Amino acid sequence: MTAPSIEIQVRSLERRFREGEREHVVLDDVDLEIRRGETVALRGRSGSGKSTLLNLIGGIDTPNAGSIRVADTDVTALSERERTLFRRRHIGFVYQAFNLVPTLNVADNIRLVLELNGVKHASADVRIAELLDAVGLGDRGASYPDVLSGGEQQRVAIARALSHQPAVLLADEPTGNLDDQSAEIVLALLDELVRSMGGTMLIATHSNSVASYCDRVIELHNGRFESDTTT
Amino acid sequence: MIPVTHRASLSYLLRHPWQLLLALLGVAIGVAVIVAVDLANSSARKAFLLSMDAVTGEATHQIIGGPAGVDENVYTELRVRHGIRSIAPVVEGTVFADERRLSLLGIDLFAEGELRSFTTDASAGDDDSGVEALFRSLLTEPGAVVASASTVERLGIMIGDPVEIIAEGRAHSATLVAVFEDAGGIDDLLVVDISTAQIWLGRIGRLSRIDARLTDDEAVERLEEVLPNGNRLLNAAARTRTTADLSNAFMTNLTAMSLLALLVGLFLIFNSMSFSVLQRRPLIGVFRALGFTRRQLLTMLMLEAAFIGAVAALLGVLLGIVLGEQLLALVSRSINDLYFRVSVTSVDVELLTVLKGFAAGIGAALLASAVPAIEATSYEPRLAMTRSSLERRARSALPLLAIAGVATMVGSAAVLAGSGSNLVAGLAAVFMLILGFALCVPLFVRVAADLLANFAGRLAGTTARMAISGIAAGLSRTAVAIVALAVAVSATIGVSVMVDSFRSSVGDWLEQTLQADIYVGVDRGSMDLELVQDISALDGIVEVSTSRRAWLESEAGQTQLAAIRMAPGSYAGTEILDADPAEVWPAWERGDVVLVSEPYGFHSSVGPGDVILLPTDQGDREFCVAATFQSYDVNSSAVMMSRATYDRHFADDGVDAIGLYLAPDVDADTMISAIDTLGAGRQTLRIASNVSIRRISLEIFDQTFIITDVLYWIAMGVAFIGILSAMLALLLERIREFATLRALGMTPAQVGGLISAQTAVIGLLSGVAAIPLGAAMAWVLIKVINRRAFGWQIDMVVTADVLVVAIGFAVLSALLAGIYPALRAARLHPAAAMREE
Repeated sequence: MTAPSIEIQVRSLERRFREGEREHVVLDDVDLEIRRGETVALRGRSGSGKSTLLNLIGGIDTPNAGSIRVADTDVTALSERERTLFRRRHIGFVYQAFNLVPTLNVADNIRLVLELNGVKHASADVRIAELLDAVGLGDRGASYPDVLSGGEQQRVAIARALSHQPAVLLADEPTGNLDDQSAEIVLALLDELVRSMGGTMLIATHSNSVASYCDRVIELHNGRFESDTTT
Repeated sequence: MIPVTHRASLSYLLRHPWQLLLALLGVAIGVAVIVAVDLANSSARKAFLLSMDAVTGEATHQIIGGPAGVDENVYTELRVRHGIRSIAPVVEGTVFADERRLSLLGIDLFAEGELRSFTTDASAGDDDSGVEALFRSLLTEPGAVVASASTVERLGIMIGDPVEIIAEGRAHSATLVAVFEDAGGIDDLLVVDISTAQIWLGRIGRLSRIDARLTDDEAVERLEEVLPNGNRLLNAAARTRTTADLSNAFMTNLTAMSLLALLVGLFLIFNSMSFSVLQRRPLIGVFRALGFTRRQLLTMLMLEAAFIGAVAALLGVLLGIVLGEQLLALVSRSINDLYFRVSVTSVDVELLTVLKGFAAGIGAALLASAVPAIEATSYEPRLAMTRSSLERRARSALPLLAIAGVATMVGSAAVLAGSGSNLVAGLAAVFMLILGFALCVPLFVRVAADLLANFAGRLAGTTARMAISGIAAGLSRTAVAIVALAVAVSATIGVSVMVDSFRSSVGDWLEQTLQADIYVGVDRGSMDLELVQDISALDGIVEVSTSRRAWLESEAGQTQLAAIRMAPGSYAGTEILDADPAEVWPAWERGDVVLVSEPYGFHSSVGPGDVILLPTDQGDREFCVAATFQSYDVNSSAVMMSRATYDRHFADDGVDAIGLYLAPDVDADTMISAIDTLGAGRQTLRIASNVSIRRISLEIFDQTFIITDVLYWIAMGVAFIGILSAMLALLLERIREFATLRALGMTPAQVGGLISAQTAVIGLLSGVAAIPLGAAMAWVLIKVINRRAFGWQIDMVVTADVLVVAIGFAVLSALLAGIYPALRAARLHPAAAMREE
């Protein structure tokens, strides 16, 4: 049996932010490889560079130096528009603050991504029903985000992030706004759905329980990797 | 030390400079327009009163006669026989020098006494100055004139220079012999000896009036007793006031237009203030948790509003003074065209106007901020309100708002129905109508956006649905912007429909009235009667009509009298509104019967069968009103009399203009050349075909409405800023949402397009909402305001293009206002936006 190919490859990555006269280094010469189907937890304190790394891999930010390959594409070589189209097709995002579109109901929040990917209305309906069933919200398609609990909103966000079957799911503190019970449900769901799709997942967290769901745990400190442990 | 709440307030304002700037602009422009209109109106009126004061001098009373003026023997009789010394004869009229219109004042220097001060302040040169020199020059030099320094400068002449004066269509040689010091009210005025004025104005043996300085009632009674029949003694100040009041309706309408600009500005500051309060909800929650009372926080927010209002008012007053200078030219031109001669070149800034501006600015800011401020401070501190719960509250208030709106509109109708012919009440009703309608707009937006969102979703997908549902979702913000734009657009519809309808009615009226083929007259003067006869005798002229216009004055006011000799068959040119023309015209030609213009009938409540009293040369006489005729003359007190009747009551054979009816085969242009040749060397005539008079009349009409155009474009500008401000506010609030969309894979163009689609729909909804309000405003403007202001009946004409242009304009302006927010959203860096959150 051959080993799974590399899905995410980061080389000599640097990201700096200017704060007035000073330059703040957020990521400093980071190298990383994640295989297809692997789930990885990025752990570290606030400001350690976790979210920045996720944003760079997802193509919503650009590095000052280094390269990033995701799904055989050199993301750092893409133009702004190409990165957007790449993200649209290959990346799914889950945020701590859910970030659902408040003016769209649950079904339309998911449909939005499907439409962006050119999925026809009828097919989208089927896919939305599947996803909502999968996240346990089969009867909430017509509800608006503001009437859902935090856990329910995050389940919708997961369904939206996975709707187009992305190669990589990037989750930034997905349970940060949830109580322990809801967090458990959401993590189990994420783990199950991503693995069933054979997708790759990178979760930024400072929670031990989140890390326990992952194949690998990488510790990040002051923009550098401190440890990389296979669980 | 500034209290910490106020420092927090100030710091917030300074950290949001764009928001602050837009709020300031909205109020400042509104205040600027109010100040500008007030300054222009008051400066024009003040200039007129000043010039009247200067010309009237110390005179307390004036003796006036009929259309031909006062016989100069009356003056001699009063002075010599009755020994009344404090009187001075005056002959005045309008002349032209270097194509500039000037007032001519002919005085008797010996009789002037203490009546007019400026006649003693003239200088005739360095070596030969003073009153004696002036006396000598005016009395001995033929055509000697005196003028103010600024008038002389404008004419480009110096003392001793000859100047050609055109009076009554005839050229006269004049010489400038002295110059007055510039003083208020004597601009564009030429002073000559009375006999010179009589010659130039063709009034040999006649006076325009006799000024009198009567210090007590006894003197007044004595003079009245000896005054011959046909002459009357009027109070000079009251006479001036009556003339100035002619333009009141015009000025009131302008003020109403300026208030409209402030009203639109009010919506803008409401939007800005509610947004700034909304943004600080968590901070307000913290302040409440720390122990600040509601009253303290409310005071903080209201002080902030007052501060914005005061700064905006200051800017508005300064801008208003600049704008007022521009507006003054338009206002004074309209007043000159329509009412009386006024010469004014710069605005006179009065403290009252400045105070009005400040009161309007601060008042508007406080009023607009009160609702969001009260609302934000009314919650328990633990309730850090979310946007969605705020929107829910806003949505639940919609039916109540709409009910209040309908009630206000019903109130507006009640005010209209119950206020008789009161113009101010009519304008108040217009504002109630706008307010009532504005309260109904949010419910309309909610319903329309929901319907459109579903439709758009089915047609163009989730992104389209999201764009439109965002309007209903952010109703607390979008509705106010839509209201502001709808009110501004409805004003354009209302005013456009009114102007179009008015223009169409005036066009029809001119078409009907101008029955003759050619009209001949003299600029500001009477025609030479021999020339009239010679022209009438020209081959090719079949019929001739004549007209003479005169102002009849009495204690009750001024009445414009038109004495017409109708050409046979030309009666149809005058539309009789309320009687049978077949019965009216024979009676009008025979007896003491008159027709009254529609404005006269409306304002004086006079109709067929009524009797009116007119001052004639034989004293007051009763005339029977046969009917009302249609007229769009601005002077709302016109009475039409047959020439035969006029001749029976007034010793005046003057003719102002004649209408010539040509034989079928005669070319109008050839005839105009023939008349021109006939008049050459005798009198400069104004000859025009009916077609060109119609064209010129409509050109003057269009010029009059330039001010209206300027004002409603300003209202549109304020609304534009409102939309821009609302869209920027929405953008700031939804920055995370847009960042998420970018993270999900929407391109910058798609995000920009989303905002543009939203603004386009905002424009569309504004345009659609503006149609019923615009139509209602047009109806009120035409049927109530114009009727009450001028007494005109206008047929309302609504053309589809006005409505289409209004909607297109609303969409276009919203799209333009949305460009910047759309570009900003498109350029949004998702990672940075997320990080900022």
